[in-house]
Amino acid sequence: MISKERVRIMTKMSLYEKKLGEQDLKISNYYKKDYSSLNTLITMLWVTVGYAIIAGLVVVSNLDALMENLTMNKMILMVAIAVGGYLIVLIAYIIGASTFYKKKHNGAKRRIKQYYRDLSRLGKIYKKESR
Amino acid sequence: MSTILVWKEQLQTLYAKYATYVDKALKIILGLAVFGIINSNLGYMKLAASPLVTIGLSVVCAFLPLIFMVVFASLLVLAHLYSISLAVMGVAAAIFIVMYIFYFRFTPKKAWLVLLTPIAFALKVPYLIPIALGLMATPVSIVPIACGTVTYYMLHYVHTSSAALKGGGADGLITSLTSFAKQAMMNKEMWVMIIAFAFCLCLVYLIRTKSADHSWKIAIVTGAISNIVVIAIASMVLNVKISYGGVIFGSIVAVGLGFVLEILFFAVDYTRTERMQFEDDEYYYYVKAVPKLAVSAPKKQVSRINEHKDTAIIDTEDIKKVAAKRAVPQAKKQQASVTNWKRKNADEILLTRSLNKDLKERQPKQ
Repeated sequence: MISKERVRIMTKMSLYEKKLGEQDLKISNYYKKDYSSLNTLITMLWVTVGYAIIAGLVVVSNLDALMENLTMNKMILMVAIAVGGYLIVLIAYIIGASTFYKKKHNGAKRRIKQYYRDLSRLGKIYKKESR
Repeated sequence: MSTILVWKEQLQTLYAKYATYVDKALKIILGLAVFGIINSNLGYMKLAASPLVTIGLSVVCAFLPLIFMVVFASLLVLAHLYSISLAVMGVAAAIFIVMYIFYFRFTPKKAWLVLLTPIAFALKVPYLIPIALGLMATPVSIVPIACGTVTYYMLHYVHTSSAALKGGGADGLITSLTSFAKQAMMNKEMWVMIIAFAFCLCLVYLIRTKSADHSWKIAIVTGAISNIVVIAIASMVLNVKISYGGVIFGSIVAVGLGFVLEILFFAVDYTRTERMQFEDDEYYYYVKAVPKLAVSAPKKQVSRINEHKDTAIIDTEDIKKVAAKRAVPQAKKQQASVTNWKRKNADEILLTRSLNKDLKERQPKQ
């Protein structure tokens, strides 16, 4: 006979496996700190690339104005502004990414825990049925 | 109002019944709008601009996650831009990569919001987007709105000055690179719109999350007014020419569509608001409960008053024979019942007579 409770748990678990299960399992293989640090590092690299692209686009779009009366002092000032802007963006993204990935890890851990709980409930139901 | 709520209920029931097909159909419509707008405005690569590609991509994207629609739309734009100039394509690709790095990496599921802004611009209702996202989403949506606005103005510039961007040789390449990058990054009108939309979205979000009565309505109207005011001030400060008629008309349409969104997603009855106050060991609670407006859709019950019946040709001779057969025992039965009745009647008469006789005999003679 079909047990309604068993089908309900199986459907819930199957939905989870289909949607987030694989990703959550990968995330839960890491410790929270490791996962957050690794992804923040990757974000730092991406932000550096993105900032370089934006800086390049700004330079290309204002090439005439920047090259006009270019002196050493002006160049140093521009580089300082660019580096300052980069540091601000980088720090903002490090803080944001660290929080984001920690939250993501917490969520994944919570869902995996629930998944294992459902798994053990399912096992108990099977045992009960086989008696 | 109740009619609209009934429609809403019916729509919800319909959606619940056919959710899979409705989702696919909506994805196809979104795909047709996105790829159609791209191909009609930037149809420089003839192969990619054919309606077959538009329909094909829309159908393919209907069966894939929405992020793929964003990716395909970006690739289609780059393909068209490549036909104009390699430099233009390079700048556009760099802008798309920046969008990916700073936003889509974190929320790939909400990447499709970027597509909405250019579509709204093409339909002349861009002012709806910050109001709608302020009502339905969070202030983080400023990023996809900004990305969408940048994309629209970039493509708009290509559409209006494609001839100037086509340049032969190394000099032409550098000229088109610098002019396109300048327009894509430093377009004042684009920045005016981004500032106005960001301000409007934050304002709408702040007001609609308040517990005040009619907060959604106030948020919608305030958002529309803020759009007009910010655009007017920013255009004056930055010396940008913007059609105020278009802004006002677009804002009125946005208010109308905002009210439709309110009916669909936040239909409440403020007349039945209840306020409660209670406490526990740590806090005092002041609770305001606003009941949702719910109208159950009337269910149609079809009762057949003239149900379909088959008619057939009846052989009357057979029926007559059967009736005759049945008639004989019937007649016999009738005759028997009459006889029985007569007998019973005779018995009763005789009994009554004898009783009368007895009574007369027993009566004392006077």
